Amino acid sequence: MESERPLTFADEVRAVPGGEHLDRCYSCGTCVSRCLIQQKLEPDYNPRRLLRMVMLEMREEAFQSPTTWLCSACDLCYSACPQEIHISSVINAVKHLAVKAGYKPVIQSAKVNAQTCVGCGLCEQACPYEAITLEKTNVPFRGKELTIAQVNAEKCMACGLCASVCRSTSIELSTAAPSEEFIEDIHSWMMKQRREVAA
Amino acid sequence: MVDAARHPKITVKTYTNVERVEGYVGNFKVQLREKARYVRADRCNGCGECAKACPVEVPNYFEMNLAPRKAAYVPMSQSVPLLYTIDMDACIHCYKCVDACGALDAIDFSQEDKIEWEDVGSVVVATGFNHFDPSVIPEYGYSQYPNVITAMEMERLNNSAGPTTGNLIRPSDGLNPKRVAIINCVGSRDKRFNPWCSNFCCMYAIKNAILLKQANPDIDLSIYYIDIRTPSKGYEEFYDRAREMGIHFIQGRPSLISEDPLTRNLYIHSEDQALGKVIEKEYDMVMLNQAAVPQPDVDTVSSILNISQSPGGWFMEYHPKLRPVDSPTDGIFLAGACQGQKDIPASVSSGLACASRAGRILHSDEWQIEPIIAQVWEDRCVSAEGKQCGVCAKACPYGAITVEKGTAALITTAKCHGCGGCVAECPHNAITQMHYTDAQILAQIRALLAEKPEEKIFAFRCQWCSYGGADLAGTSHFDYSSNERGIRVMCSARMDSDFIYEAFRLGAGAVMYSGCHPQDCHYITGQRVGAVRADRLLKTLEKLGMSDGRFRIEWISAAEGDKYSRVINEMQQTINDIGMQQILAENAAMRPELEKRSRRMYEVPMVPEASTYSDKMVIAMSVKEVKDGK
Repeated sequence: MESERPLTFADEVRAVPGGEHLDRCYSCGTCVSRCLIQQKLEPDYNPRRLLRMVMLEMREEAFQSPTTWLCSACDLCYSACPQEIHISSVINAVKHLAVKAGYKPVIQSAKVNAQTCVGCGLCEQACPYEAITLEKTNVPFRGKELTIAQVNAEKCMACGLCASVCRSTSIELSTAAPSEEFIEDIHSWMMKQRREVAA
Repeated sequence: MVDAARHPKITVKTYTNVERVEGYVGNFKVQLREKARYVRADRCNGCGECAKACPVEVPNYFEMNLAPRKAAYVPMSQSVPLLYTIDMDACIHCYKCVDACGALDAIDFSQEDKIEWEDVGSVVVATGFNHFDPSVIPEYGYSQYPNVITAMEMERLNNSAGPTTGNLIRPSDGLNPKRVAIINCVGSRDKRFNPWCSNFCCMYAIKNAILLKQANPDIDLSIYYIDIRTPSKGYEEFYDRAREMGIHFIQGRPSLISEDPLTRNLYIHSEDQALGKVIEKEYDMVMLNQAAVPQPDVDTVSSILNISQSPGGWFMEYHPKLRPVDSPTDGIFLAGACQGQKDIPASVSSGLACASRAGRILHSDEWQIEPIIAQVWEDRCVSAEGKQCGVCAKACPYGAITVEKGTAALITTAKCHGCGGCVAECPHNAITQMHYTDAQILAQIRALLAEKPEEKIFAFRCQWCSYGGADLAGTSHFDYSSNERGIRVMCSARMDSDFIYEAFRLGAGAVMYSGCHPQDCHYITGQRVGAVRADRLLKTLEKLGMSDGRFRIEWISAAEGDKYSRVINEMQQTINDIGMQQILAENAAMRPELEKRSRRMYEVPMVPEASTYSDKMVIAMSVKEVKDGK
């Protein structure tokens, strides 16, 4: 019969939607060498190692790992993963638990100016991480209650798409813009990829 | 091979397809199509003058299309028998080969396919495996980058009889590569393509690396791997030797191969887990060690021979541990990699095992089978009256039943394995199963439901899986409800709808219909026959007003004792939740319809006698009443 055992960290991650395929990982390292964040931003970024940390009950290490916070869910790794693990979902599950445990995202999320937001919802549609929702306020507006955009800091990756679509310039990103050098680097990498595809 | 061809008792038929197989163990009839070679086998001496004269060149499949062959060709120089063939798809009908053949006069353009029947005692299937085409993996760029080659191409390039006479060159510029990488698990252990480990490729990669290193000592060789698997005798030592020779083993599955468009050199991106770093290394040539996959025509072969397939398409053995070379059809054996990924020693041993299994049949005049077989009552079969039926033949997983209008269904005893699917499916109760007759099973149902049937959970279990599961639950001392009463039949296919109706008619509280998991069925597709019937039964019983959960369909393996006890406990809980009053009321409401349905049972010989098995039994009808139509 099933014995009662305390929930492990891995159990908690599996319980979050998206985290259930955790155990399929056989540590081949495809995701790591595929990752742009690892190559361009943070050499310590390592999804394979994060999954190991989860399985080996290394809770605090996992919450402090840059992998937990920097994944942009581009899913380059997913298409290459031989075990078909949706790795960004697993990372997201870890992040979810980390936020619950009181950790703060290292990325500064987008900020909405409640004074100027008109609640049009363009940003909600643009957000690739489903981090923006329209929330009701108590302010009456044209016979209804005014709704304004709210950013879920846990999900926000500070990509800036919302700010670029906002018609009333109500959204700003508090992080400094990336250096010109960094943009040049990414650009040249993309051009190289394009050349390869063309060749 | 040459020895086999010269042996007086062995006939080698190449370029020949097996098109149909009929009959049964010891008495197969096989239809063969000997394809037209356009060369007369009795005259051709294999001199090859025709190929020299032939002006047409096409890619040579044997050389992995790295070299040409003529339209008049032999597949390889060691072909047995050494007979030339004219490839009609490529031939331009210049007839230069006819002139070249001269007085031998072996070339005959009027030849046609020859179809003949052979009597054989047993069949050994040795159709082998195919290699996976890596061009479907976008990140490795095979077929896009010229210097990314497959293992089989490497095999030809590094072979002294190959197109380069063993001089290893890279396809883009013909130079000798100085840095070569081998990537393992290309298409294997990959849920996107083939989930299995292909078994021999680790050793194969090491073999190729050692051969390359021996021929070119200054070559830089790396093997990228997920895990190195060298489990057999001497294999790990071979791996050690490769490391001592200076071959690099990098643990990390490459995620991308990119190419320098000018030099055509390749960059492999991977994590090196020993270093804990992502590395990007440059190579002159990359070999992809592809997965082993089943032959593309396995479905055709399996339907010709009536043998089932494991997941993925490999042919299914009778039992993975105890009868690894037998197919589920008696007299048909599986040798080598058609049954699963095997290396050379394993293929040779399975081939030898097949030979001895087949010899056993050929050397005996009689063939013993299990006594549990199906038999037809010819006077009850409607096919004998000229009506269209054939339900039994459809249910039989072994093709043992032949139905022709005008005669009763005929069961080939030697083919019958005794699942009982036909017995339960027959709408006229015209088939019986020895040792598991309807009368015997009904008597068991009645005896077990003689007292307080509404409290009982009645379990139908199949001999191989769920009965074993129940047994394991008992021997493991798993607690389950003491209200469980179970009987054993050979297969879930044998669980006749009438038995379930009878159990509910007698007032059973709940009934479990259990058997093997679909892939574990010991009678190929028996479980499927049972599962279809069980789903139909569930709908019928629900329509009759039965509460949810009183009829339960569960597939339980012999190793799932815990599942068996859990399911029984859950069913007990369901009975408790529904309540005794409700169950009694439902049974009373269902009873008239169930009586009508199980009435046909009484027409089966022996069943009426069985119905008087015990005086205490609650039996509403006697044979006379049925005959009177009450």
